[in-house]
Amino acid sequence: MIEEIIIYSTISGGVYALLALGFTLIYGVSGVVNLAHGSFYMLGAYMFYVLGTFAPELPPILAVILAVVFVILAVVFVGVVSSILYRLTIHPVLGDEVGVMVVTVCLALIFQQLMLLAFGPPNVPVDPLIKGSVPILGVTVTYARILAFAVSLFLFASLWIFISKSKIGKAMRAVSQDREVAMLMGINTEKLYMLAMATSSMLAAVAGIFISGSTSGVAGAWIWMYPLALSFSIVVLGGLGSIKGSLIGGFIIGYAEQTVIIVAPEGGQIVSVVPFTVMVLVLLLRPKGLFGKRIEMED
Amino acid sequence: MVKSYIRRAYSSFTAHVFDIPPRLMAFLFLLVLLVIPVAGLNPYYLSMMIYANVLAIFAASWDLLVGRTGQISLGHALFFGIGGYSTALLFKFFGLPTWVTIPIALLIGSSVAVLIGFPCLRVKGPYLALVTMAFPIILHSIVKWTPLSYIFEGEYGIRRLPAFFAFLPIRQQRIAEYYLTLILFFAAAVIIYKVANSKTGIVFVSILDDELASKACGINVTKYKLMSLIISGLFGTLAGCLQAHLLKVSNPSMFLLTWSFTPIIVTFLGGIGTIYGPLVGAYIYYILDKYFLAIQLPRLCKYFGVTLPGEFEYAKLLIFTLIVLVLVIKWPRGIARFTTDKLEDLEEARDLDERGPRIWKRYERKKK
Repeated sequence: MIEEIIIYSTISGGVYALLALGFTLIYGVSGVVNLAHGSFYMLGAYMFYVLGTFAPELPPILAVILAVVFVILAVVFVGVVSSILYRLTIHPVLGDEVGVMVVTVCLALIFQQLMLLAFGPPNVPVDPLIKGSVPILGVTVTYARILAFAVSLFLFASLWIFISKSKIGKAMRAVSQDREVAMLMGINTEKLYMLAMATSSMLAAVAGIFISGSTSGVAGAWIWMYPLALSFSIVVLGGLGSIKGSLIGGFIIGYAEQTVIIVAPEGGQIVSVVPFTVMVLVLLLRPKGLFGKRIEMED
Repeated sequence: MVKSYIRRAYSSFTAHVFDIPPRLMAFLFLLVLLVIPVAGLNPYYLSMMIYANVLAIFAASWDLLVGRTGQISLGHALFFGIGGYSTALLFKFFGLPTWVTIPIALLIGSSVAVLIGFPCLRVKGPYLALVTMAFPIILHSIVKWTPLSYIFEGEYGIRRLPAFFAFLPIRQQRIAEYYLTLILFFAAAVIIYKVANSKTGIVFVSILDDELASKACGINVTKYKLMSLIISGLFGTLAGCLQAHLLKVSNPSMFLLTWSFTPIIVTFLGGIGTIYGPLVGAYIYYILDKYFLAIQLPRLCKYFGVTLPGEFEYAKLLIFTLIVLVLVIKWPRGIARFTTDKLEDLEEARDLDERGPRIWKRYERKKK
């Protein structure tokens, strides 16, 4: 049981960190609390399913390559959609917190209803990229989960390097520190916001494809809520806008979640309580999160 | 003597109501609401109006907290569900009558507001919205949890709650329920409106405008935020109680995001920060939803020989969400506010002791 908890929660923790990274990125750069983050997760999974229906019968190796292409296509699609939506809907209300949240909740509900209209209430299957499993410490772990873990760690690391080293990453950090001064330095903030939004939603889409593929194997119109809950509880735990915080928070939430699933009676039913309870506790004890900046007097 | 009193009352009434177009409209609106059941409305529309009254109370309470005090709550369903479940549990375990359970439920609701107020009001902005969103989702999972089903009865919820006027025949029962909800609606509207325009209400608006400045003026910001949350929670709970007894069931869906989102739709339809906006918005919402989309549109489609597919149910929420999206971005004043503004422009703006929310100023500032 202990081994199960450790292995499963390490794997899901890595993917959750990726999910939360997107959420914290867009908040850190433009101050948008993107409640539609879970919808991009859902959209990624659905797009992958839609592309998969076009796939012809192929030998296994070609099929894997095709699936990788599909993942990339789906993720790029989500990125484009999200940056366009950002420009059309979120940008006009930027700076007004009530407005931003209402707009993003609206977007989330619009995606939910669109998916219901297009695919109906039944879940659609999301296939894992590779099949098969391997025993680790006596626990059977599917290759899909290991792949999800590896991909998310890779993406996390590369994004961290991108943000801390590259020119665009530096521009993003500059904008998050002081928007007006960044504009004076010749940074096109609007484009940068769109880019940050696209990156953030692409991370969500990757997480969507890999999590739905490796755990439940299905995607439904309501799956956006739980990832959203996860990502904001992780982000609150780690501190809004902190990359390190989202990595550590992801693992903490992953452990807490798996422990509840395995230990509590009918744990699967109350698993959604976990992230929220952690979040409320964190805010009670340490309102700015583990690595967050002081928020009380920010304006 | 009596005559002069009546005359004075009448003249002050005309001065305060008839001479001010928005108030005249509100008065006429109330008159129409009062005579609706007498006009022999179809029971379907009557129950539509009953639920519109309940939603109006709920949305007005949201507006006090968000539109006036600026404390973003995306989880008002918490109070709704608390109301429904506490009255249902009191009935289930103690067999108390409705007129006892509802006041106790209100007490429970306001104590919950105090309880969540302490963790919530320490944080602000995005954190606050996320925390408030968390509570109803936690409770939704808990009331559905199978090991606790001997208390909350799981997925189906607590059924067979007593109706309000069970001793009357069904038709009169509806009318009585209508008047009950109308009276409560009126009381809630007056109380919330008076609070919002009292001295306390001005402090609420100052917190919305600039929390730091209010703090600097020596205002105990936390106290006022908590006060706003308690009043808001009280009426939210009332709406939940009413809904539970009208539907005769409290089920986990009362904690769903839909119930947190409906007051937002309604408030933005009417105009955020106005208090009277959501009251009007609730009726507009129900008329759009239950009359135009549910009755007139299928009829129209039938006339043109088109049948609506079953998926149309999903398109309803889509339509409302799109309306809200457009309203938030393009027209944050909403319908009620827009109308009153137009009326005031026609008739030389008066001092309406409308100290007005400043929420639109942010939009105006941004547009520059």
